[in-house]
Amino acid sequence: MLTKRLSRRTFLKASAATTALLSVGTFEFKSWQKIHADEKTNLTTIPTFCNACSSKCGLLVHVKNGRVWKVSGQPDHPFGKGKVCARGHALASIPYSSDRLTQPMKKIAEGKFEPITWEQAYKEIGTKLKQIIEKNGPGSFVFINDPRPTGKFYGPRFLNAVGSSNYFGHETVCSNARDTGFNHTIGGIPGGDVANSKYIVFIGRSYGDGVRPASVQALIKAKENGAHVVIVDPRLNNTAPLADEWLPIRPGTDLALVLAMSNVLVTEELYDKEFISNYSVGFEEYKKTIMEYTPEWAEKITGISKETIIRIARDMAKVKPKAMIEQSWRGAFGSTYANSVDTGRAVALFNALLGNIQQKGGYIFGKSPKLGKLDESIHPTPPEATIPRVDAEYPLVSHHTGVAAIIPQKAKEGIVKAALIIQTNPVRNYANPKYMIEGLKSLELMVVIDIQMSETASIADYVLPEPTYLERDDVIEVTPGVKPAISIRQKVIEKVHANTVPADRIFTEIAKEMGLGDYFNFSVDQLNQAMIAPLGITLSELKKKGTIIIDDPVELGVVPKLKTASGKVEFYNESFKKAGFSPVVQWMEPLVKPDSSSFRLITGKQSYHSHTFTANIPYLIQITKDYNSERLWINRTRANQMGLKDGDLVEVVSELTKSKIRIYVTDRIHPECVFVPSGYGNFSKNLTYANGVGFSYLDHLPFHMDPIGGTPMIHECIVKIRKVGV
Amino acid sequence: MARYGMLIDTKKCVECFGCRVACQMQNGLPPEEAFIHFYEKETGTFPNVNIQILPVQCQHCENPPCMKNCPTGATYKNKDGIVLVDENKCIGCKYCVVSCPYQARVPNHKTGVVEKCRFCVEEVEKGKAPICVATCVGNARIFGDLDDPNSEISREIIKRKAIPLRADLGTKPKIYYVR
Ligand code: SF4
Ligand code: SF4
Ligand code: SF4
Repeated sequence: MLTKRLSRRTFLKASAATTALLSVGTFEFKSWQKIHADEKTNLTTIPTFCNACSSKCGLLVHVKNGRVWKVSGQPDHPFGKGKVCARGHALASIPYSSDRLTQPMKKIAEGKFEPITWEQAYKEIGTKLKQIIEKNGPGSFVFINDPRPTGKFYGPRFLNAVGSSNYFGHETVCSNARDTGFNHTIGGIPGGDVANSKYIVFIGRSYGDGVRPASVQALIKAKENGAHVVIVDPRLNNTAPLADEWLPIRPGTDLALVLAMSNVLVTEELYDKEFISNYSVGFEEYKKTIMEYTPEWAEKITGISKETIIRIARDMAKVKPKAMIEQSWRGAFGSTYANSVDTGRAVALFNALLGNIQQKGGYIFGKSPKLGKLDESIHPTPPEATIPRVDAEYPLVSHHTGVAAIIPQKAKEGIVKAALIIQTNPVRNYANPKYMIEGLKSLELMVVIDIQMSETASIADYVLPEPTYLERDDVIEVTPGVKPAISIRQKVIEKVHANTVPADRIFTEIAKEMGLGDYFNFSVDQLNQAMIAPLGITLSELKKKGTIIIDDPVELGVVPKLKTASGKVEFYNESFKKAGFSPVVQWMEPLVKPDSSSFRLITGKQSYHSHTFTANIPYLIQITKDYNSERLWINRTRANQMGLKDGDLVEVVSELTKSKIRIYVTDRIHPECVFVPSGYGNFSKNLTYANGVGFSYLDHLPFHMDPIGGTPMIHECIVKIRKVGV
Repeated sequence: MARYGMLIDTKKCVECFGCRVACQMQNGLPPEEAFIHFYEKETGTFPNVNIQILPVQCQHCENPPCMKNCPTGATYKNKDGIVLVDENKCIGCKYCVVSCPYQARVPNHKTGVVEKCRFCVEEVEKGKAPICVATCVGNARIFGDLDDPNSEISREIIKRKAIPLRADLGTKPKIYYVR
């Protein structure tokens, strides 16, 4: 029999100890017989989409007597394909969470709030924001969004209305480096056509940990068709059951691997010459540089043998264009190392060498349907704000994402004075929390819209509670792809807390207070109707179906004009040169290196958590508790040398702080690093279930920013491990 | 009359816990009670390592020791071979908990009743698949009638050479695993 990480007996004992939780469980507890006996009584099924991660899969919500019972998947949704992951199922319990924010609040002292009316909130926020902007200019105001459609529409519109360009997303700590590398090299982020590929290399990205159901299914389909799957990761992640081989790379050296694989394609002339001559610029300069990066050279840096590097490059060339290094997300080059932007560039260029762009089994730029607009004559659009952004020193980073992690620094410098933050948690998740708190506290006005008291909400001047995603209507969502889709989020149940207000109303009311109400003289329904009108869809049709696929597929085999400066693949990049960086991709060392007595602290996702947002959902944090999965992974040989055993309590020590955690001793990890999953370390005392579980890598991360990609370089962190009590 | 069983292809399971939580919702279970649990086994030494993931729940044994040892007859098999617990008869003695070799029994701390996977009998009676099957992101699970040689499950058991867990125990479990 296999062994579970925790013995059954201990598990049962642990359950008994947590029985107290039962009474506060989010779902009303009944025996199953009762549950199913009730079934006939008023059961409805309403389509909407999920809010547990950025995939936003289509859901069917089953409501029994006005209460959410369970969710299932919308078969048509391109990312969900009828399936729902653990997070999707469990998040449906959040309307009933005992930690919900239920009324608007105003800070009266450090850590102290008093309830206020919405009228007072709108009035005070509108007045203060107006004063701040009059005194310091509109550039002193920033907006930070979670990647959801209502914020994406209302946020920029509100910014334009007040004259600010400062839109920010959470990508600073997610995909900024990759996006920057890809945008300037191939003009955007394509989707990998994994299902039809013959050879797929994942660098840091794990479909089994950062689950998107359609991606898992695509990979399984590829496997069934005989594809070869390689995982490049310092850690044998949970995609392992679907992989053929694991390259346990030295963390921070992925760039060297990709450069050397590219070297093989170029020196052995295995690349797609026709594609390169027709669709790229600067190949000769690139070729000169790439000659230095031989597989022998990379072997020393990465720890991966030159034979392996040569074999993989050759085998990929044999099946090109149905081969790819998957485009990843945060993975090993989203926000991780000092060289992540260049890893992103190198990966995009390696794929270009395979000629896989817009080819079956390769990289495909999806389509987005052309949406309609509100009628200008009735609903005036504010003029586009043109003043410089506060993160202007990162010229290569897209303005659609921005560098949110530097906002606290700008606040300290007195450049940013006011911030509006929606359902995202910069304090806990964007960089070192001490630094974030210190910076954000120098703001004159900080407003947070959320559903629970996050670490960020805890230090705000005003906290405004929203209904959850199941209790409100949102702006429609577009899912780009080979066949794009339009989905709708709609109210599934009545508001659980009557005094919550959705973000679109909050924007509208604050704008009114500031005399800008004319720009917001419409409802979400009116807006949605206008947006989908050109597609020949009606709102009632969309609300009934949930998701509608636009049957106007991408034409494969035709390389589009790329959205780079030259319209082609850029092996030589003028924008990088202008910004003071190397125009050609080249090897760059990671920022820090552990020695024989220390470790690099790395992190990554688990399939049942999204950032730290889901850690407060009892159904998900219970998985963590049952399987001890908040533990720190450490290589068995290193642990043995240090006299550490599985389950030992250790102290993780860095320049900044100490964390206590138990260890998971395993052969699944490179000896030079330790791994902590990314969903833990909540310290807000109002997050009952999440508080105190595990720690966050960010606690140990010094505040340092990658000047190219605008990321806090989350894996550039050295720690020591010592046994507690020794 | 059918003889329902399940196939779980562990080579397609990424241990996402989707099935566990979907099942909890379906059956109104509290967070700390789950009918599906996971075993994980690591083999080899760095860098030649592999992992095996094994989702386990009630195996709906044809010859169930839990039923044999149930003093009140609360545990029974329905006409389709699904092993169920009648909560009105269960006295919470936990004899089944100790006699189940698959550790599939889950005592409910509130009602005292001992529960377990029920092959989502209400869904199955409507002609649908159990929730864990319907939601599985890897399509790792197949449900159907083992007595029908043309059912997908019967064909795939042969094709993928799926076998039950610990067939040596004589319990005749009806979940077949691809390992
Ligand atoms: S697996 Fe255990 S609980 Fe299920 S039928 Fe067999 S013995 Fe009974
Ligand atoms: S068959 Fe139904 S009750 Fe059994 S594990 Fe699956 S979802 Fe749960
Ligand atoms: S849903 Fe499927 S893939 Fe996920 S853990 Fe369950 S069996 Fe495995």
